[in-house]
Amino acid sequence: MVLSRQAILTRMKAPIQSSERLVITPLLYKNENDLFDADSVDLRLGCHFLLPKALDQPFFSPDRTSANSLYVRAHIPLGQFLVVPAHQTILGATLEFIKLPSDVSGQVLTKSSVARTFIVVETAPWIHPEYRGCLTLEIANVSNTPVLLYPGRRTCQLILMLVGRPVGEQQSEPVAARSETVKSPTTYFGPVYPEGPKFKDPQDDLLDIGVARVSTLRRGELCRQKEGWIDEFCVRQGSRKARRVRLP
Amino acid sequence: MPTGLVDVLHDASVLYRFVEFIGEYCRQQKRSQTYVGSAAVFFQYVEQLAAGIQDELRREVERAAKGSPRLATLRRNMRTFRGYLRLLHTLIKPAADAHSLTIPGPLVDLACQQLQEVDGMADSRVLILLTPEFMYFQRPHTDIKGQARDIEAFIPSASFPPKLGFIEIPYSQGPSFFTNLAIYHEIGHFVYEELSNRKPSHGGFRTLASVKDRCLNKAFNLRSSTVTAGARNAVRVERNRQALALAEKILENWTQEIFCDLFALRLIGPAFSFAFIEMIGMLGVSPTQRVTFTPDHPAPACRFAEQVKLLREDSWWKEIEDLQAEQRQFLQESASIPPRRYTFLLDENHRGPRKLLDAFVTDLVPAIKDLVCQLTRRAVPSVERFRRVQDGIQQSFRAGVMPLTDTPDKCDPVCIINAAFCFYLTAVREIVESFNGPGHDNDVALHSEWKNRIEMWTMKAVEDSQFMRRYKKVQRYGPF
Repeated sequence: MVLSRQAILTRMKAPIQSSERLVITPLLYKNENDLFDADSVDLRLGCHFLLPKALDQPFFSPDRTSANSLYVRAHIPLGQFLVVPAHQTILGATLEFIKLPSDVSGQVLTKSSVARTFIVVETAPWIHPEYRGCLTLEIANVSNTPVLLYPGRRTCQLILMLVGRPVGEQQSEPVAARSETVKSPTTYFGPVYPEGPKFKDPQDDLLDIGVARVSTLRRGELCRQKEGWIDEFCVRQGSRKARRVRLP
Repeated sequence: MPTGLVDVLHDASVLYRFVEFIGEYCRQQKRSQTYVGSAAVFFQYVEQLAAGIQDELRREVERAAKGSPRLATLRRNMRTFRGYLRLLHTLIKPAADAHSLTIPGPLVDLACQQLQEVDGMADSRVLILLTPEFMYFQRPHTDIKGQARDIEAFIPSASFPPKLGFIEIPYSQGPSFFTNLAIYHEIGHFVYEELSNRKPSHGGFRTLASVKDRCLNKAFNLRSSTVTAGARNAVRVERNRQALALAEKILENWTQEIFCDLFALRLIGPAFSFAFIEMIGMLGVSPTQRVTFTPDHPAPACRFAEQVKLLREDSWWKEIEDLQAEQRQFLQESASIPPRRYTFLLDENHRGPRKLLDAFVTDLVPAIKDLVCQLTRRAVPSVERFRRVQDGIQQSFRAGVMPLTDTPDKCDPVCIINAAFCFYLTAVREIVESFNGPGHDNDVALHSEWKNRIEMWTMKAVEDSQFMRRYKKVQRYGPF
């Protein structure tokens, strides 16, 4: 069930310690109607960004050490703008810090007016219960024209949904106070700026499902030969035994 | 071609190229980074100066080539330009490094706003520099401004930004929030230098100067010893004169340090004392060091005693006296050391005159405090408001949420900073256990991660409070 505006506002007034408390801060609006729709809340674009940078190697390896090598940080203060070139993607964040209640999931969608400029916000839009932090937004300009983004403008909307309870538990019953138990922080806990991905190394990830030998390419393992750009590279086996192979 | 023109032409073209590089460097930095404080104004000045010097060089060399006998003047002017550019050169790179990704911008903005509320400091601005030293400094600006005035006679199109202070932050501490509260102390140095050198001089500083003279009279019994001794023995007079000059310098150093401590405390509350203790690692100082005055600094015990006195007078102390933190304990212990235990060492082997120390503590320190209170009367935060919101802010942290800024009370950045700092000092273990479960009590990495998170949340809350303040103004008065 999607939470209505009234339900959202009620949850925003719950005590801060309550597991039912929804936090969206700061809330900047002229009239309540500007920000709150019947079933959603508009969120503004924050001032910090991660911009893609030219890599010093011809690939990106999603592992623990390379995770943040894709980006360069940028700060665009309110009143300034950022140009997103055509067919480019960047990471931004919401200006608002949010905390979801323990029984509510959220989804972030592009505001329709923004979407009509061919800017797409969020490709991984789901937010789990008890998420805390400013939301990292994957922003893509899928148009053929560079587009200006102004921090502080309403860019996306948050839709909140009640998470179903196990059979036998009434939806109206108060959620067990999670504050009394241990709340394990999620992978992304409490960021106030956009965050790059947090990966485990592929070997560690795949070992969980029984894959013991994993080929990986690591930074610095590419060799540049005299006659060609890249014709040889090292393959590292999961068992950490390395051998050299020739590329086709 | 007039004799010597070739050499002058060479020198002028080298200077021309140097100036061009500096101007271009500033333009590039402005384009590629965002700056807080007054960096943009400063870079603008450097660009204008560079363009002005280039024009001047072109004009003067052309005149000289036409036979105008001005080569000597041109050489002299180039020396002046070079000297000033050498000085600016030391500021430009550290200023360029201090962009909004490397310093806590919201804190600098807040400090600048508060600075402008200080009596006589309206329209003042601060330029942040990143320094390789592991210490905070205020770069004295009187000399720079003096030279800038001289240059203005040649290049009227570039006028040095008025009331500009230079504060240096260690590059490693750039992004951290609480340690950087030490900039308030450095801003105090800027205020002191600015107001004490102003002409006509500030009334409060005139009073302070007369108290300082009184202290010197008291310490050296001037009328009876210096003057009469002078009549008898010229060597002794000279020695007394030197001793007096040294004592005057020492008193000035001590005065400035106490002034800056109290100034920072008035503007930002006890958070400054905590930051100061953290920054200079006071928790590890020996009992002897704690009570020792040096020619540059008053004894830490004296500094903290004065801070505690002011915190009591401003009603802050009641709010922190139960804080279960080593920092609070250190403050309290320092304040309880009686002044008679203070010592004054000129160097490792020589004690300084006890009378000077006593005169400083009994006469000068109260006068410094009066002056600080007078200057900052419009800039002091509300302790009453802190009392009202402290719990709420700390409960937010406990719930794993950054401090909210949804009411005018909660929007006060000084309250946010103090409540957050108290939480940071006392409750990290609790929050680690609450969110990560038991068994992580001694996990340094996890504690560090949480401390960083608390600092980030505090900085965001301070930034949000500034958004909210602007937004409320628009709500009330319309767009401005």
